[in-house]
Amino acid sequence: MDITAELRKIVGVRLSVSPSELYCYSSDASQVKGTPDYVVRPKSTDEVSRIVKLAYENEIPVTARGAGTGLAGGAVPVRGGIVLDMSGMNRILEIDIDNIQVVVEPGIIQDALNDALIPYGFFFPPNPGSSAMCTIGGMIAYNASGMRCVKYGTTRNYVRDLEVVLADGTVIHTGSKMLKSAAGYDLTQLIIGSEGTLGIVTKAGLKIAPLPKTRKLVIASFENAEIAGQAVVKTFSNGVIPSACEILDRVSLQVLKRYDPKLVLPSEGDVLLFEVDGTENSAREAAEQIIEVCSPLALSIKLAESETEMADIWAARKLVGAAVSRLDPTKTRIYVGEDVGVPIKKIPELLKRAQEISEKFNLPAMKYGHIGDGNLHLVLFIDVLNKDEWDRLNQVADLIHRTAIELGGTVSSEHGIGAARAEYMKAQWGPAFEVMRAIKKALDPKGILNPGKLGL
Amino acid sequence: MKTMKNKEKREIKRAKELDKSEISEMKGKDQPFELDRRSVYKCVQCGACRSFCPVFNVVGWESANTRGRMLIIKSLLEGRHHSEDVLPSLASCTTCGICAAKCPAGVNPPEVVEAARAQLVKCGITTKVQEKLRASVITSGNSFGEAKDRTHWLSDTERSQLPEKSDYVYFVGCFDSYRYPEFAEKTFKVLQRFGVTLLPDEQCCVSLLLRTGFGEDAEKVMKRNLEQIRKVGAYTIITSCAGCYTTLKNNYPEELHVISLPEFLAEHLDELKLKKLDLTVTYHDPCHLGRHNKIYEAPRKVIQAICTLKEMKNIKENSRCCGGGGGVRIGYPDISLELARNRLEDVPEGVDYIITSCPLCVRNLRDAGGDIEVIDIVELVAMAME
Repeated sequence: MDITAELRKIVGVRLSVSPSELYCYSSDASQVKGTPDYVVRPKSTDEVSRIVKLAYENEIPVTARGAGTGLAGGAVPVRGGIVLDMSGMNRILEIDIDNIQVVVEPGIIQDALNDALIPYGFFFPPNPGSSAMCTIGGMIAYNASGMRCVKYGTTRNYVRDLEVVLADGTVIHTGSKMLKSAAGYDLTQLIIGSEGTLGIVTKAGLKIAPLPKTRKLVIASFENAEIAGQAVVKTFSNGVIPSACEILDRVSLQVLKRYDPKLVLPSEGDVLLFEVDGTENSAREAAEQIIEVCSPLALSIKLAESETEMADIWAARKLVGAAVSRLDPTKTRIYVGEDVGVPIKKIPELLKRAQEISEKFNLPAMKYGHIGDGNLHLVLFIDVLNKDEWDRLNQVADLIHRTAIELGGTVSSEHGIGAARAEYMKAQWGPAFEVMRAIKKALDPKGILNPGKLGL
Repeated sequence: MKTMKNKEKREIKRAKELDKSEISEMKGKDQPFELDRRSVYKCVQCGACRSFCPVFNVVGWESANTRGRMLIIKSLLEGRHHSEDVLPSLASCTTCGICAAKCPAGVNPPEVVEAARAQLVKCGITTKVQEKLRASVITSGNSFGEAKDRTHWLSDTERSQLPEKSDYVYFVGCFDSYRYPEFAEKTFKVLQRFGVTLLPDEQCCVSLLLRTGFGEDAEKVMKRNLEQIRKVGAYTIITSCAGCYTTLKNNYPEELHVISLPEFLAEHLDELKLKKLDLTVTYHDPCHLGRHNKIYEAPRKVIQAICTLKEMKNIKENSRCCGGGGGVRIGYPDISLELARNRLEDVPEGVDYIITSCPLCVRNLRDAGGDIEVIDIVELVAMAME
């Protein structure tokens, strides 16, 4: 069968087989590579269903892709086949304020959704660092979260219903606008985080939240990360739930200051950023409480003075990972071992061991992350023209992953497994991994949906 | 429904436009593709540029955004065979630079893309449109291939009275010389009182040659301009075209004292004795004046000395491209106009004019067919001097 001709019948000019185009779809922000044979940009559920059916009948791999901002190769077609570029399906279909929900197509950019919700006084809380470019579909596929999940939870907590195209092209809905349901398996939750291996999301019904009246930011510095970790534990045990709780080590601070010299940040130590939100009074009280609790441990502690100061710090923080080249132009950040997570109490230990590993391999590392939920983003940067540095980089990443599992944590907190972390799935899950295999087999017997991912 | 149909039609048209990037010749086929690798490897493929690239916003394919272009360039450096199939990606960048402004890793994609285009030219991979353009500049000294005198808009008397020596040269540019002589006339009238002269045989500034990869040819033409600048003894070169400005300032081999018309006007506001006009206008930042050279305040100062300024939705560093630069208007006119239409969406309500300070922007924004008249800043100044 002439697959190109068949695909063209479905999507017309929104099909490409040009080598340059295929090359552009052969990677994301990770080091995983795999070239597709066809790229299509569907515009409707019907088109997706017809494409998947065609792929099913001809046993061609199908990999869905949003903005390709993933850090684990989830959208990379490692076995070739068809890439479905979903970013053109980017409409907001319904803003239903009475039910505090929205219905969107998967290609919508997270920030674009939030821009549309601001006039209604609502927002979609999960906010990854890539919120300016990542799609909601990608966020669902990888259960993305970000800085505010310490209070608001992850994408998983906001999805009410999904329209999903299954491996044979069948279209199903996994939920409804109901806030709760006791009718059978929760397929919505099964699809979230399944990385396109069980079905292709074509519509999503999402819960939204009212925008807080105000946000305040407490900036504190500590002699070392361990003391910073103690400050976090103390804050939580005093009953304060910040809307974000981030740690930035010294190197991250230098990078941030290089990125934007105007940023008002401490000049020494490891820094914690506590954001609290709510009404003016409740946010102020919470901020004051954090200052009181952390002061005995901190080298310095202050409240951000203006909204602009706060916005600038968050904007820079969101992009800090990629900004390392500004510190040393010969170094490029490589996203490996960048998303481990451990129980909050183990964070100081993880930080210590990460430091030891990076020193052992003589590879500088920058450490920042969502200390409030145990998620550490380790930034490794190398001279990409130096093979020896590549070797050491991969060894460091491997040890970091194994350390996280040893500490009772996870190899990925919010970026996903994809192909980059597939080899650790068995070690992390033990016999539970066989249950995942069984589910995959039941829903995708021919193995056409994003093959080569999740270690399945 | 009708809008959907129109959208589809436009999509098909754009797809065809990208498809027909006709290859010109393949004489340098076996030449290696070389580039400063570090400038490319700095890109971490995070995709931050993806949400801002105006061409991608219209075209939709990954190859049409900055990250795609960087990937393609990387692949050529790593030995992927270069062929004409890279052209729709690399030739469709307007070099507007919003990606550079947004890139957390500090990559400068317009520079990389221009360097890659130069390599493609070396390897014999160019479009027919590019070749035509090159021939026009080399043979006729302007990008339109016009044969008539560049100063045709001057009267014979004016021409004969041009000072041979002067501290100031008004560099007119191809656009104002041939497409908007009324801008040239008005600019000259404003500048005349400062004793400005013109180059006797001004040549194209070579912006287009440089943006599209013809560096070697560009050097020869630059030389012709430089010789004349030296002969006139000018210290300052004033230009009203954003493309000419950035080229003269940043690409000429000698360091020239170049000043844009809005800067010159802003510096001499007192001497110009402008009257106030009961108008509300908005201002479009040309990419090559704004983002590339950070000239944001001077045009605003001039406008506010005359009338009320109501800003567009995206301004200064965040300003959206009109679609006219980087050889895109000439290579991909439909895509280029779609960009201009998108830019017009940023115009606020209740303005009498859209002001800009680049003739390419004027043309593209006018051709996009909005309801509000687009004029060059010099026209506003001329109105205030009447």
